Amino acid sequence: MKVAGRQAIYRYPLLTRASHWLWVLAFVVLIGSGLQIFNASPNLDASDKSDAARRVLAIGSPADGVGTTTVFGHAFVTTGWLGWTDDGMGEKSAHAFPAPIIIPGYQDLAAGRRWHLFFAWIAALCWLAWLISSAIKGNLREMVLRPTDVPKLWPMQAYYLKLRKEPPPHGIYNPLQKAAYTTVLFVLAPLVVLTGLALSPGIDAIANPLTVAFGGRQFARLWHFVGMGLLVGFFIIHTFQVATQGVVNQMRSMISGWYQPQ
Amino acid sequence: MKRRLFLASATSALAGCGPIGSALNNNGSVRRILASAEGLNHLLIGTRGLAREYRDNDVDRHFRVNGFATPSDARYSDLVARNFAPYRLIVEGAVERVAAFSLAQLQRMPQQTQITRHDCVEGWSAIGKWSGVALGGLLDMVGLRNDARYVVFRCMDNDGSGNLYYESLDLHQARHPQALLALRLNDAPLDPDHGAPVRLRVPTQLGYKSAKWIGRIEVVGSFATIAGGHGGYWEDQGYEWYAGI
Repeated sequence: MKVAGRQAIYRYPLLTRASHWLWVLAFVVLIGSGLQIFNASPNLDASDKSDAARRVLAIGSPADGVGTTTVFGHAFVTTGWLGWTDDGMGEKSAHAFPAPIIIPGYQDLAAGRRWHLFFAWIAALCWLAWLISSAIKGNLREMVLRPTDVPKLWPMQAYYLKLRKEPPPHGIYNPLQKAAYTTVLFVLAPLVVLTGLALSPGIDAIANPLTVAFGGRQFARLWHFVGMGLLVGFFIIHTFQVATQGVVNQMRSMISGWYQPQ
Repeated sequence: MKRRLFLASATSALAGCGPIGSALNNNGSVRRILASAEGLNHLLIGTRGLAREYRDNDVDRHFRVNGFATPSDARYSDLVARNFAPYRLIVEGAVERVAAFSLAQLQRMPQQTQITRHDCVEGWSAIGKWSGVALGGLLDMVGLRNDARYVVFRCMDNDGSGNLYYESLDLHQARHPQALLALRLNDAPLDPDHGAPVRLRVPTQLGYKSAKWIGRIEVVGSFATIAGGHGGYWEDQGYEWYAGI
């Protein structure tokens, strides 16, 4: 197939494209509903049980009209953004994350949990289906970071920073892309699933070593939040890169599969 | 310009989450689809294993008080004033022998102790040392009829609008070795704020299952006709009946 006169390559198989967009949906719902769940107890402790002495993050409202975010004991005033925010009912009140970014868009822990636990299944099953299919088809080989890619990471970054004229030789994905995808799919995705499971009493009873491995129940909740933050970081960089590096070509390739090499 | 446009569209997409989520959440079919995860979780996690038991020095000396306000009606105040002497734990419904146990009778039964973590659905947790009567043993004493399926706990506290708290367990959960009718917390008799004289402890599920101020235990074939029909006060407000996750 030819796009704009040049030979296009079929880069993304159907299952990769379908799981990509399903993940986008699940990601947005899991973040929104996760923040809803966080709001019910807006503290994160590096401990098994709740322990104010080991509090890493606290988002609160010390007085009406004031929101604060406390990180490792250092308090910042975040009125309007965190702690004292829009409650989705036309008022501002003591809620950690603002209503417009939580699901549903007002305080409702029960509904937030329903959304979260349903889309957690969607995301996890989608990951499993993608992994099996990619492993069988061999696509996995092209995107997993290997030891031989490591020396090429800096040259690739130098190319992006315009310190180098040519990128180092690479396959379909460059070494930085491989590093990012490997981290997201094989480190962060398992991290958020396992920490989510570890903070559930029923799972703790079946697989206590899992909860212990993350430092206990509240610590697992902290890791779950950290994993979320890193995934959001990836999401922002990824979206920015797509938007700035040939958005039409990029979007078309993730919809039809056909990518036009630059 | 491109960058500003990108930031603007990203922000508005983010701020759309809440309102779109709210609109979808009001749709009955959407809620039914979302609720399907509960059955899957119940099936896969179920009531296996034992909650971790801790050491004495892990205990929170001032165990967090949560849930509805301590009952303040004349009947409960009278029970507190008389040290729960007139209290009877009634066990009825699909049982062989209806029973009414005084607190002294419950205290004379074999006692079990557990130091377990209480995981609240809100996200916090606390560790307490609980002693009391194994729920399974009590059910054996009264004997269950063949039509028994669920054990419903009728409580003395209400939500401020007169709706009494209640909870339920299936027989498998009720016979779990750590399902406990607690009479003591941290080596002292339960105080009114922690559910005196009798509260439930189900450490393998979220805290709302561990009902406080139990007045009556009713064994039933189905909880569909009780209150909102979902098997518990919070379940009637949309929370999962299966609270293992």
